[in-house]
Amino acid sequence: MATQDDDTLTGSVPDPDREPSAAELAHARRFAELVDKTIAGRTPPAISADDRALLEVATVIRAARGQIELPPDRRDAVVAAALSRASAGRRAPARGAAISRARGRGWAPWIVAGASTLVAAAALAVLWLRPAPGLRGEPAAASEVPMAWRSRPADALIGPIARDHAGDASARIDTLFADRLDGFRAQQLAQGGRR
Amino acid sequence: MASETATAQDLERELEEEHRLVEEARQGNLDAMRPILERYAAPLYGTVILPRLGDAASAEEVLRDTLATAVEKIRRFTWQGKSIYPWLRQIAINKVYDVHRQAKRSRRLADALVHEVDVESDPAAQPDALLIADQERQAHRGRIDQTMTQLPERYRAAIELRLIQELSREDCAQRLGVTIGTFDVLLFRAVRAFRKHFGGDT
Repeated sequence: MATQDDDTLTGSVPDPDREPSAAELAHARRFAELVDKTIAGRTPPAISADDRALLEVATVIRAARGQIELPPDRRDAVVAAALSRASAGRRAPARGAAISRARGRGWAPWIVAGASTLVAAAALAVLWLRPAPGLRGEPAAASEVPMAWRSRPADALIGPIARDHAGDASARIDTLFADRLDGFRAQQLAQGGRR
Repeated sequence: MASETATAQDLERELEEEHRLVEEARQGNLDAMRPILERYAAPLYGTVILPRLGDAASAEEVLRDTLATAVEKIRRFTWQGKSIYPWLRQIAINKVYDVHRQAKRSRRLADALVHEVDVESDPAAQPDALLIADQERQAHRGRIDQTMTQLPERYRAAIELRLIQELSREDCAQRLGVTIGTFDVLLFRAVRAFRKHFGGDT
């Protein structure tokens, strides 16, 4: 999508005497302020790509005239950082050594994979051989809970939905909510009001 | 005559010292590179990297990468009886090209920025690194001046006053007899026009 900023780099440049539009005036002022900051050594980190491209040209012009020098403290910091990086790279283990160590540990993934497979197989066997709760003669926990506390169908509350009431979903939801809230309150009261 | 001889002797001594430091670094003492890096950091930044990149922060990063790469690869460097500076300079130019490629700049603009400059490359001539830097600075200036000649007079004046003489916007406007707002527009258009003629999209 073409924007006005696209025109900044690709559009034609007006003659010096041509009246600027309000938008160009505002952009020119913004750019002039960027140049001010750059010359003062405080280039803002976040600027548009087009302004950055123009600012780079301005800096190229200034640098070619030898007006931008690296201050001694910055030079020393850069040299120190470069030496530090190079030294760290040399201290790091050689790649060949890392590969040979990795080769020595080649069996480790197979051990982990084998152990995981055995554990999974054992879990499956336990699940397969375990009798179902009803067959073990234990009472089903769900049957001890009152119907009002269990998940249950809403047919008793809603009943068949006539075609001309199909759009009343919110009313049906309200009915369900009121009923379930009532069940919840009953459960709370049954426990003496404790949560 | 005597001073010329003294200068030649100084250069010879500096070259011998550089050779000794390089050999020391090649044998594993990386810190031996420090005086060499300190000597060449400024010309690399000011004449090789920044004029081709145009961004001071990125230029510092490229300089750091250049110096670190040089230290890391010093074992591969072969002393040929001349300064290490052309080798460092070539590493820097390659790094600058990488930055332009990553920024997806148009090939034409990247080529315009990362142009090659004819510098003394005869090993027998043993050119001083600072002489190479000076030649490079002259070449950059020549290219800037050549582009400036293609701009309308008022655009040239706006660039000359604000970016080269670094006068304040108020002073620039006063010199050109316009308001500050009008000067801002002139500078904005001038930099856009310069970019187009320098190798940008047309």
